[in-house]
Amino acid sequence: MTTDAVSRSSAAHNEEMVPRYTLAERVNHWIGALAYIYLLITGLAFWSPYLYWLAAVVGGGPVARAWHPWVGLIFTASLFWSFKQWHGDMKIDDADRAWAKAIPNYIQNEDDKLPPVGRFNYGQKLFFWAMFYSVILLLLSGITLWYTEALPWSLRFVRYAAILIHASVALFTIGLFLIHVYMSAILEEGSFGSMVHGYVTRAWAWTFHRSWYEQVSGGSRRVQ
Amino acid sequence: MSQAATELIRISGHAGVVPGAGLNREFRVAKLVDTTTCIGCKACEVACLEWNGYPFSETTFDNTYQTMPETAWNYWNLIKFNEHEREDGSMMLLMRKDQCMHCEDPGCLAACPADGAIVQYANGIVDFQEANCIGCGYCMTGCPFNIPKFSPKARKVFKCTLCNDRVSEGLEPACIKACPTGCLHFGTKAEMKELAETRAQQLREQSGFADAGVYDPPGVGGTHVIYVLHDAKNPELYGGLPKDPHVPMSVRLWKGPLKWLGNLAIVGGIVGMAFHYMRFGPKKEEEIKPDEDGRRR
Amino acid sequence: MTNGWIDIKNTDMMLIMGGNPAENHPCGFKWAMEAKRNRNAKLISVDPRFTRTSATADLFLQIRAGTDIAFLGGVIRYALENNRIAKEYLVNYTNAAFIVKEGFKLPEDGLYSGFDSAAGKYDPSTWNYEGSGGSGPAGATGHAPEPVPGKVGGATPPPALPANVAYDLTLQHPRCVFQLLKQQYSRYTPEAVERITGIPKDQYLKAVDLFTSVRKDGDMKKVATIIYAVGWTQHTFGTQIIRTAAMIQLLLGNVGRAGGGVNALRGHSNIQGATDMAGLYDSLPGYLKAPVPADSDLATYLKRTTPGSSKPSPWASMNYYSNTPKFAVSLLKSLYGDAATKQNGFAFDYLPKVDRDYSWTHIWDDMYNDKVKGMMAFGMNGVMIGPDTNKNINALKKADWLVVGEIYPDETSEFWKAPGITTDEQKNIKTTVYRLPCAGFAEKDGSMTNSARWVTWKYAAVPPPGQARLDQDILAQIFLRVRDLYKKEGGKFPDPILNLNWAYADAAHPSLSQVAMELNGKALADLTDPATGQVIRAGQQLPGFGWLKDDGTTMCGNWIYSGCWTEAGAQIQRRGTEDPSDLGVYPNWAWSWPANRRVLYNRASCNPDGKPWDPERKQVWWNEAAGKWVGNDVPDFKPDSHPKDHMGPFIMNPEGIGRLFAPIGVLADGPFPEHYEPIESPIKNPLHTDQSNNPLVKKFKTPYDKFGSPEEYGIVCTTYRLTEQYHYWTKNNPMNVQLIPEPFVEIPVELAEEKGIRGTDPIKVISARGTYIAKAFVTRRLKPMMIDGKKVYQIGLPIHQGFRGIAEDEGRDARTPANLLTPAVADPNAHTPETKGFLVKIEKA
Repeated sequence: MTTDAVSRSSAAHNEEMVPRYTLAERVNHWIGALAYIYLLITGLAFWSPYLYWLAAVVGGGPVARAWHPWVGLIFTASLFWSFKQWHGDMKIDDADRAWAKAIPNYIQNEDDKLPPVGRFNYGQKLFFWAMFYSVILLLLSGITLWYTEALPWSLRFVRYAAILIHASVALFTIGLFLIHVYMSAILEEGSFGSMVHGYVTRAWAWTFHRSWYEQVSGGSRRVQ
Repeated sequence: MSQAATELIRISGHAGVVPGAGLNREFRVAKLVDTTTCIGCKACEVACLEWNGYPFSETTFDNTYQTMPETAWNYWNLIKFNEHEREDGSMMLLMRKDQCMHCEDPGCLAACPADGAIVQYANGIVDFQEANCIGCGYCMTGCPFNIPKFSPKARKVFKCTLCNDRVSEGLEPACIKACPTGCLHFGTKAEMKELAETRAQQLREQSGFADAGVYDPPGVGGTHVIYVLHDAKNPELYGGLPKDPHVPMSVRLWKGPLKWLGNLAIVGGIVGMAFHYMRFGPKKEEEIKPDEDGRRR
Repeated sequence: MTNGWIDIKNTDMMLIMGGNPAENHPCGFKWAMEAKRNRNAKLISVDPRFTRTSATADLFLQIRAGTDIAFLGGVIRYALENNRIAKEYLVNYTNAAFIVKEGFKLPEDGLYSGFDSAAGKYDPSTWNYEGSGGSGPAGATGHAPEPVPGKVGGATPPPALPANVAYDLTLQHPRCVFQLLKQQYSRYTPEAVERITGIPKDQYLKAVDLFTSVRKDGDMKKVATIIYAVGWTQHTFGTQIIRTAAMIQLLLGNVGRAGGGVNALRGHSNIQGATDMAGLYDSLPGYLKAPVPADSDLATYLKRTTPGSSKPSPWASMNYYSNTPKFAVSLLKSLYGDAATKQNGFAFDYLPKVDRDYSWTHIWDDMYNDKVKGMMAFGMNGVMIGPDTNKNINALKKADWLVVGEIYPDETSEFWKAPGITTDEQKNIKTTVYRLPCAGFAEKDGSMTNSARWVTWKYAAVPPPGQARLDQDILAQIFLRVRDLYKKEGGKFPDPILNLNWAYADAAHPSLSQVAMELNGKALADLTDPATGQVIRAGQQLPGFGWLKDDGTTMCGNWIYSGCWTEAGAQIQRRGTEDPSDLGVYPNWAWSWPANRRVLYNRASCNPDGKPWDPERKQVWWNEAAGKWVGNDVPDFKPDSHPKDHMGPFIMNPEGIGRLFAPIGVLADGPFPEHYEPIESPIKNPLHTDQSNNPLVKKFKTPYDKFGSPEEYGIVCTTYRLTEQYHYWTKNNPMNVQLIPEPFVEIPVELAEEKGIRGTDPIKVISARGTYIAKAFVTRRLKPMMIDGKKVYQIGLPIHQGFRGIAEDEGRDARTPANLLTPAVADPNAHTPETKGFLVKIEKA
C-alpha cells in the first residue's frame, strides 16, 4: 500500500467510501428481494388459514395464485443473475473453512477475533448457495404445482413430492431470509445502505471484509 | 335432509371454528352405485351434463365405450368400462360410474388453502364453492380418487356437487333421477349401507360372486358415494378404484407436522434473533488500525 | 309381447337372445334388474357378442349369428329328455296330443313334405291334423281350395283344419304332435348344437339346465320368460326362431303367466302401433288379412279369412276369429262411411287387393326395375335401414320422385350425396326430392303403443320449429288435393278416394284424438246387449269390440283398439298408478289392447280346474260362486266358461290351444322350425348339407344382389345398435355424438393380432356387396369360435353412422353406412331382411 494511505488514519479516512456493489448487483438484489417478499406474502397466505388474509393484501386469493408462479420465475431469474454476477466471489475456500471454525466469535460480535474474509464471508456464501439450490427445488416443485392438471394421474407421486418439497424448502428459505434481513438490515450497520447506494466505508470494509478491503483499497489484486 | 344440506361442518382454508358445525348430524346422505346392475347406458352422464348446464365437447373413439379417459372439469360423471376375464375364462364388462366420492374425511378439503373454497355440509356432501376457489390445484393432489379437475379457462377447479342444489330442495341428484335400471340409489347413509350390504349378500349367496362386497373405504373415513362390487377384493379392476384410499401421506405431513414445525421454526427464529440482538447488539464497524491496514503488503 | 315390460319383474328366469335390452331398451330393462334383485331371477344372455346385457347376466354364451334355431331346438330336446316340461299344461293347453295327418314328413333332409321345387314353395296340405269321427272340414271355411301357383303372401287360401281333431292324451301315438316334436328335435343334440352354434357342449348344457330348471320335478310354480328383439327377426328364418321360442314356452308352461311369455322388444316407441295399424302390406288394421284378387266379394273374403273351430270333440274352443266378419264390416264402415252399404258388400270392392309380395326388399327391387316410380318416406330412413345400401341408392336414382318427411335432413333425402357419387354423376340423377320438415315426437299430441301393447296418450311438449308440420296434416292435405283432382278430372276408379270417410272436424288438420275415437269405433244405430240390457245409442262410442256387428250398425277403425276411447273418456289418457295385485298390472294406467288386458292368454296361468299354478302370482281365476272368471287382470277368456267345459286358453286359434305344430301353412316354411344356415354362412348346414338354407328364400336378380363364399369372406358379421344412439336421429345431437363420436367395428383380439390391427386403427370391412370403413374396436368380448371343426371369427358393427350427421358433416368418419354390407334376402313369413348374419373379410384401411 502506499505510504500515503498508511499515514492517514484520520476519521476522514475511516469514513471514506469504497464501492461494494455495482448498480447491476443492487438492481438485481432488489428485484429478487421484492419478488421474494411477494412470494413470502402469498406463500404464507397459502400456508396457513390464519395468514390467508395476506392474500387479500395483494389482491385476493385468485390473483395471488395467478401471480405467485410468475413472480417465482422472476425470483428464479434474479437468483440466476446473481449466480452469474457472484459465483466467483461465492466460491468457498480454505479461508472460509478457517472462518467457520471461529463462528462463535462472529455470533458474539467479536469480529476482531475472526480471520480476515474476502468480499463475502462464509455465512454469506452459505446463504447464497442455500438460496440458489433452494430456488432450483422451488422451481421444479413449483412448476409441478403450477400445472398439476398436466401431470398424469399415474405420476401422482410427483405431486405428493412437490407439495412437500415446495413447502419445506420455502420454509427453509424463510429461515434464510429472516437471518439475511436481520444481519444485513439490523445487525450489521452499514450493510443495508451498501445495497442501496453501493458504497461502504473503509472502516466497515476493514472491519468485516478485511481481505476484500485490502484488495480494493490496494486496487492491484483480487482475492481469488 | 334438506336442512343438513345447507349446514356446514367443515370449511377449507378456514381459520377458527366452523359456524354452526355439530348442531345436527341426523341426516347423512349417500349415493349407492350398484355396479352389478349398471348397464353402462350413460344416462347419468347426460343428466349430469344437462343439470349442470355444461356444453358438449368433442371426443374421440378410443377403443372403448367409455366417453373419455377420465372425468373432466365440465364432465363430472363418467362410466368407466373395463373388460375383465375371470379365472374360469368367463368375461365381465365392469361398468362403474365414476364421480366424486364425497369422503367423510375429504383430502381435497384438507389440502385446500383457500378459505371456504371447499365445504362439507352436515349431510356429508363435499362441495366446491367456486367463488372462493383460487385455482391452486392442491385439492387435485389431496384427492385419492383423481376427481377434482382444473379448468384452464376459469382457472378454477370443479367437481361433482352430489347435486347439492337439488338435495337441499329435497330432490335426488340428477344422475339418480336418470338411472333407468335402479342401479343408482339415494338416501341416508345408513339406508344405503344396509341396501348395499343386502345386495352384496345376495350376490355372494345367489349369484356366485364370493367376493362381492360394499366399497365404503375406511381410509377416508367412509364415503358418501358407496359401491356394490362383484369383486370387492379387487376394486382396481373397476377403472382404477383404489383399494385402500387415504389422503396422501405427504398432504397429511404437509398440513400436520410440517405446519407446526415450520410455524415453530419461524417464530423461534424471530425470537432467537431478537434475543441475539438484545444480548450482543449490533455489529459496529471499527476504526481502521493503521498498523494493520495493509499488513500484507 | 304376450306380457309386458313391468311384468318382467315377476319372472324367475330370463333367456335374452336376439336382443340387447340393456342397451336398446334401458328403461324397460329396469324390470329385468328388479327380477334379479327381488326374486333372485337368473338371466341368461345368448348373443354373438358379449353386450352390456351380457354384463348383467348370470350366464353368457357366445352364439354364431343366425344359429338360434339350433340352440333353441336343443333346448326342446333337453327339456323333453329330462322331463323338464309342464305335462298337464302341455296336454290340455297345446296341440301336443293332436294327431297329425298321415303323409306328413319331417325335414331330415331339410325339406318338409309337400315341397314344390319349381314354385319354390310348399303345399302344406299334409301339415294338418287328422280328423276324427267322420266329420268334414270345419265351419265357415267349408273346403280347402287348390293352391294357386305363382301366388305368394295371402293369395293362397290354406287348406282347412278338421272340425274334430283326432287326439291321444297319453301322447303315445306315433303321429301325435308330441312324438313328432320329439323326433324332430332328436337331431338337435348338444354335440350338433356345438357344431352349429359354436357354443361348447359343457357351457350349453349348463345354460339349458339352468333355463329348464324352472320345471324341475314338474313343479309349476316358477316361471321363465324369453325376451328377444330384431336379432331374431332379421334372418331368413326369423319368424321360425320366434316360433321355436314360443314352443319352448308352451312346453314349459310359461305362456299366459305373470313373468312368462314370449316377449318381443320393439325398437321404436310406436312400432307396435304401426304394426297394429297394418304396418305390413298383407294385413289390414287389427291383423285382419288383406284381400287378394281371388276374394271376388266380401262373402268370399270373409269365407276365406274366418276360421271354423277345430278341436277334439269333447273340448270347447272359443275361436275368437269367428268374429272376423264383425271386425271387417266395422272396418269398412269406418273407411267408407255411408258409402259402405249392405247392398254393395260394405264397399269391399274399394279395398286394394294384394296380388303379390310388396314387402320391403320387393319395393326397392321393384324401384330398381323401374316398376316403382316414386316413394313417400315418412318416419324411416330407407337408404340406411334397408339391406344393401348400394342397391337402394341406385334404385332411388331411377325413381322419378321422392318425398321425405323427416325431422332432420337424412341419408335418404340426400342419397345423391352418398360417398362414391361424383359431382358429374350427381348431375345425371333425375330424381326430384321433396324434403318436408316434420314435427318430432315431442312436438305432437297422439298415442304411442309400446311393446307391452299399452296405448298411451302423450301431449306435445314444444311446438314444431320453423316450417315443420305435423305428419297427419301433410298426409291430409295431400289426400284432399288428390281427392280434388279426382273430383275434377275423374279417373279409372275414383270411388274409393271420393268416398273415403274423412269426417274430421278440420279436414286439413285432422285431430289425432278424433282418429283415436274412430279407431275405437261407435254405434251407427241404437244397440242393446241382450244379456245385460245395456243400450248404446247411435253415435256413441263403443265400450269395446264385443259390441261390433257385421250388419253395418257399428264402425270401428281397428277392432283391437276398440275400448281405447269410450263414452267414459279417453282410456289411453288414464294415469292411475294403483296396482292392487302388486304384479305390475296397473289396470288404470293408459289402456292396453285387447280390452285392457295386460297379459295375453292369462287363462293359462291357471290349471285346468281354474286355480292359479302359483298362488303367489294370481292373475285370473275361476270363481265358482260367481260362475265366472275374475282376477287382477282382465281375463283373456270367455268370462263364463266353466273349467269343466275344457275351453282352450288360446282363444285366437281355432283349436283353442297353443300350437307346438303350426298346421296348414300358417307359416310358409314348415310346421316345426328347422335350423337353416344364413344365406351367407361359413359352413354347410351340418343337419343337411344339401339343403343348407331355408328353401323358401328368394334371391333377387339385380347386379347388386351378390353373395360371398366362405372361402373369400370367412368372417361372420352382425350389426347392432348402441345405447348411446337412437337409430339415425341422434347423430344430429351433439350430446349423443359426444358419447359415441365415431363408428367402429368390434373385432376379437385374436383376429386383430392375426391382421396386425391395433385398437382405433381404421379398417375396411368388405362383403360381396360393399365396403364399410371405421375404426377397429379390439375387444375380448368377442372370441374366436369353432364351427363344425373350423375356426371362425365373428365381428360386429353398429349401424348408426352414415353420411349425414354432426360427425359425418365434419368429415370425422368415412361416411359409409353399415348396410352397404348386408344382403337383400328376407324371411318368407314376415319378409324381414337378413341383416344380422352375413359374411365379410377385413383389412387395414
